[in-house]
Parts: sequence; C-alpha cells; structure tokens
Amino acid sequence: MDFSTTFKIVGTGMSAARARLDVVASNLANASTTKTDEGGPYKKKTVTTAAEPVESRFDSAIADALKSVKIESVTEDPNAVKMAYDPAHPDAGANGYVALPDINVMTEMADLITASRSYEACVTAFDSTKNMALKTLEMGR
Amino acid sequence: MDLTGIGKGLAIPDAAAEKPQTAASPASKFSDALRNAVNDVSRLQQTADKAIKEVQTGNTGSLHEAMIALEKADISFRTMLQFRNKFIEAYQEVMRLQV
Repeated sequence: MDFSTTFKIVGTGMSAARARLDVVASNLANASTTKTDEGGPYKKKTVTTAAEPVESRFDSAIADALKSVKIESVTEDPNAVKMAYDPAHPDAGANGYVALPDINVMTEMADLITASRSYEACVTAFDSTKNMALKTLEMGR
Repeated sequence: MDLTGIGKGLAIPDAAAEKPQTAASPASKFSDALRNAVNDVSRLQQTADKAIKEVQTGNTGSLHEAMIALEKADISFRTMLQFRNKFIEAYQEVMRLQV
C-alpha cells in the first residue's frame, strides 16, 4: 500500500470543501443582488459532488471500494426569487415590487460551517496518515 | 560443523545462487541504491517547489495541493534518510569485517 493514495483522496475532499465554501461565499455576497448578466436577480447556487474511482496500488478488493470525490456540477435554483415591496428601488417593477434572491443567510452560514468542518476533517485525516507514515519509519529503532 | 541445512526449510534464498549478479559490480551496489533513493526524493521535492511557486504567484495552484506535495516530499525525504542510515550501517559493518 502507499500513503500517496490516501493523500490523493484527502486532497480531492479538500478541493470539494473549498468549492462548497466558494459557492457559499458567492451566495452570501450576492444575497441582495438584483441584476445579473442572464437577467433577473442572482440565483442561489449549490454544489453537487460525485464519487470517482481512485487509481491505487492496493489489492483489488479495497481498490474497488476507494472513491475520491469530484465536483459534478454547480446548479442554481431558478425559483429562488422573492418579491419585496420597495418602489424606490431602481429595479422595482411597475407594481413597486423588486425581485430579490431568495437566500437565507442562516442556511448559508450553516453550509459554511459544514464545509469548513469537512475541510478540517480532511486535514485531520491527512495528519493521521502522515503520522502513520512517520511511525512506520521509526520501526526497528 | 555443517550449517548448510539450516536455511533449507525456511525458503531463504541461497546467497551463492545470487552471486553472479552481485559479483559484476559489487562496489556500485550501495551507491546505485542510494542514488535511486535520492533521485526519487529530488523529483518529489521539485514537484513541491513547483506547487509552492504556483501558489505564491497566485496562478492556478491551491494551497492544500501545495501542502500535500510538500508533505509527500517530506515523507519521501525521511524515508530516504532511513534508507541511507541502513545502507551506511550495513556498509560500515562490512568494512569492519576482520580478514
């Protein structure tokens, strides 16, 4: 077995956590954005991840079971729009309502903490693997 | 005293059987093994260097990829160091042999 397989898997996990964090940051930053290039308000985005087989030199039983993670897609919810009455807003319609992104800051904060904890978990897994490798080198001393 | 029978049942390879290969360049064996170990470590360190450079110049590199490359280089270096210690130990053991 080799430690670099574990490092590879942990690395993809960290990349996925970073992607989630980026999307949460984007959602939070645009929580009240009313204009986008596609027209209409900003739409809440979500990251979808997929398991991917990892190349490893383990024996086949475990090699088939090991999966790294990859970012499948970033989807946006087309219906995540809420109407707010604000006739003074430059983007308000004829009836005085503005289309605002339906982003719940609390939900986004919860997602942020989840992503951040998942990243920390990957770092811990990495550290344990490294400690195992270093312990192996102490064998026979 | 006859000692040839001891290793027979333990599937220990006969040292005499491997002699033709080792006898060709007995002096370069240690250095070859060491050189290979050092080359492997050097390659990983260059990868780590590249990853760090990419992070510092703000290009495509991500911080964790650089750190993973760095740790890989660290572990491989320590492994090489252990190899080296074992090699030197074995070499000195041979040099101390009384003839």
